[in-house]
Amino acid sequence: METKNNNKLGWLFASPYLIYGFVFFLGPLIWSLYLAFTNWDLIAPNYDFVGFSNFIKAFKNPAVQSSFWVTYKFMMVFVPLVTAASLAVAMIVQGLPKLKSVFLIGFFLPYLSSGVVSSLIVKGLLSYNSPVNAFLRDTFGIKINWLGTPFTALMIVALIIAWKFAGYYALILTSGLESIDKEVYEAAAIDGVSRRQRFWTITLPLLYPAIYTTLILSFGVTFGIFTEVYQLTGGGPNYATNTWQMEIYNQAFKNLQAGYASAIAILAAIVTFISIFVIKKLLEMWGKRNGWV
Amino acid sequence: MKKKLAMLLIFTVAISMLAACGSKSTDNKGTAEGVTAIEFWTANNPPQQAYWESLAKEYETVNPKIKINVSPMKETPSSEANIQSAIAGGSAPTLSENISRGFAAQLTNSKALVPLNTMAGWDDIVAGRNMTNTIESWKFSDDNQYVLPISSNAMLFGWRLDILKELGYNEPPKTYSEMLDVAKKLKVKYPDKYVWAKADLADPAAWKRWFDFFMLYNAASDGNKFIEGGKFVADDKAGIATLGLMDNLRKEKSLLAENITDPFETGVGIFTDIGPWTLNYWAEKFPELKYNETYTLAAPPVPDDVKVDHPKTFADTKGIVIYASAPKEKQEAAMEFMKWVYSDAKHDLQWFEKTNMPPARDDLSTNDVFKAFLDENPALKKYAEAVPYAVPPMDNAKFNELQTFIGQEAVNPVVRGQIDPTTGWNNMKKAIEEALK
Repeated sequence: METKNNNKLGWLFASPYLIYGFVFFLGPLIWSLYLAFTNWDLIAPNYDFVGFSNFIKAFKNPAVQSSFWVTYKFMMVFVPLVTAASLAVAMIVQGLPKLKSVFLIGFFLPYLSSGVVSSLIVKGLLSYNSPVNAFLRDTFGIKINWLGTPFTALMIVALIIAWKFAGYYALILTSGLESIDKEVYEAAAIDGVSRRQRFWTITLPLLYPAIYTTLILSFGVTFGIFTEVYQLTGGGPNYATNTWQMEIYNQAFKNLQAGYASAIAILAAIVTFISIFVIKKLLEMWGKRNGWV
Repeated sequence: MKKKLAMLLIFTVAISMLAACGSKSTDNKGTAEGVTAIEFWTANNPPQQAYWESLAKEYETVNPKIKINVSPMKETPSSEANIQSAIAGGSAPTLSENISRGFAAQLTNSKALVPLNTMAGWDDIVAGRNMTNTIESWKFSDDNQYVLPISSNAMLFGWRLDILKELGYNEPPKTYSEMLDVAKKLKVKYPDKYVWAKADLADPAAWKRWFDFFMLYNAASDGNKFIEGGKFVADDKAGIATLGLMDNLRKEKSLLAENITDPFETGVGIFTDIGPWTLNYWAEKFPELKYNETYTLAAPPVPDDVKVDHPKTFADTKGIVIYASAPKEKQEAAMEFMKWVYSDAKHDLQWFEKTNMPPARDDLSTNDVFKAFLDENPALKKYAEAVPYAVPPMDNAKFNELQTFIGQEAVNPVVRGQIDPTTGWNNMKKAIEEALK
């Protein structure tokens, strides 16, 4: 009887968050599912039910198609970059004799900075008449249209986001490094294992749980890229940086096609869940194959 | 103890709910004691806000029965987005300014705006402000007027006069061939300078076409409409010629469509679109730029075979709308306020002085009220003279999507040299016609 009362009390204490979740997550999700089959324009009091035409239109839209592929392009650039950078930061900081916390916080600060601000700074740096480009032109005769070229535009955006997240992921990896038993390294040293071998055969395997976490997180980030793209490239040039979120924003708030935007959002969600699921399974298989799990 | 905790939690939740309910009651203070209060959202910039606040206060002394609550629109992520969410959330103001005709078309499509010509006092406003001719081009395809024009910024092109003189020209080019001649001579003398340096040429964002493509197209077509009543009615020849100019400039290596900062001001580019609001910015940031010394203003160039005395241009027009969601008495109060504002030309002079944006009226360059101000500001006089030749933006609810196609399918690839003008035009036309179905 007391257990039953405790359960009720538990549910009661949990109810604020449950209500919050229902109101702000489940409600909008259901509403979005409904909207995806309408032609509502965010303002009009009336709208029509249009069946699956929004989805059909989305599949045919070159902008939506580009969103699909651009996400994976960002993934291929961003994930290796941020993983290598965060691992490097974690290893360097871990090796410091003093002030580890100070340096970690320093590397973490980009994560707290506004994407808008950092994007605008980069935009200024890459301007045609910026010191960087003026130097390249005058000294080497190199003329690069950084944000107007598909390849470099993609790279720039990926670099900014990698810079932003590297410190954050380094925190996770640092905690993973801290959890590795020092005696393992001591035993390895006795056996004459080199530093490089120690990294690949001890550090990396034992760090797998933390790396797994940062990899999953970084793959997820690529499905939510918006701010930097919005500020720097607007999805261009030629849709080269047109992400899911950028396309959803354009359709919903520029073209006022809320129903169509909802359909795209649902497609984005489906692609995201499937992709993350597959990636997660691949990572787990990789870990098992190497005996790390 | 458990019961007490449970009761405390319930009490907390109840208080929160009551607080939420209580906040709604403030919305019902629209009319009290015979005074009608209207909400007026202004543009989010100090000069316009100050202008409307001062007029509102003055009007309230004339008509104490109407109270005007002036507040600036939020512009994050954009003023349009805030208006949309306000309408969708049921908290739209009575009226707002700074509404472009394109955005108004979107709102009209959703039945969010009042057709102003159906309101009492509309004819008085038009007559009192002397804008019978100006207002004609503002009419929507359903023959209603949804936007009361405030300003008509006839966009002009600026030319670096100091550099033109070095090339042997005393006045800016008027035709495409003259412009290309300038490009050739410029490249010989200054290999690192461009006729047209503008990052936006490579940007597909819809609104940017107003300040490159449409300025030129309106001139080349002598004001031929682009979209009318849901149909593509553009002048093919003029459109292809417009793209052709961009393509030819690119071929002469005189067009730079990259991310660049202040190209005209620094002399990297010698040709650019300029709105009257730029003059204040220059006065602060680039005081060395002097009208008719460093730079001059001109109407858009036209193709060689287009013979017109005054080329048309794009009008960056903004106006006032009244929202259909507002109560009838508030709508009527808003019209009364507008009638009072525009019954006196001095109010428009005040606007002109504060914002540099030409009031949308037929007699701007002939009315004595404005003479002294225009004589003191010759650059603004140039804009005032161009007002009658300014064409407002298209009034299609899908203008954003349609204008994006102009960039994506035509302007952007042409300036990059990826396709020829005719192909670009046809691709754009196909995309637009498909979207209009």
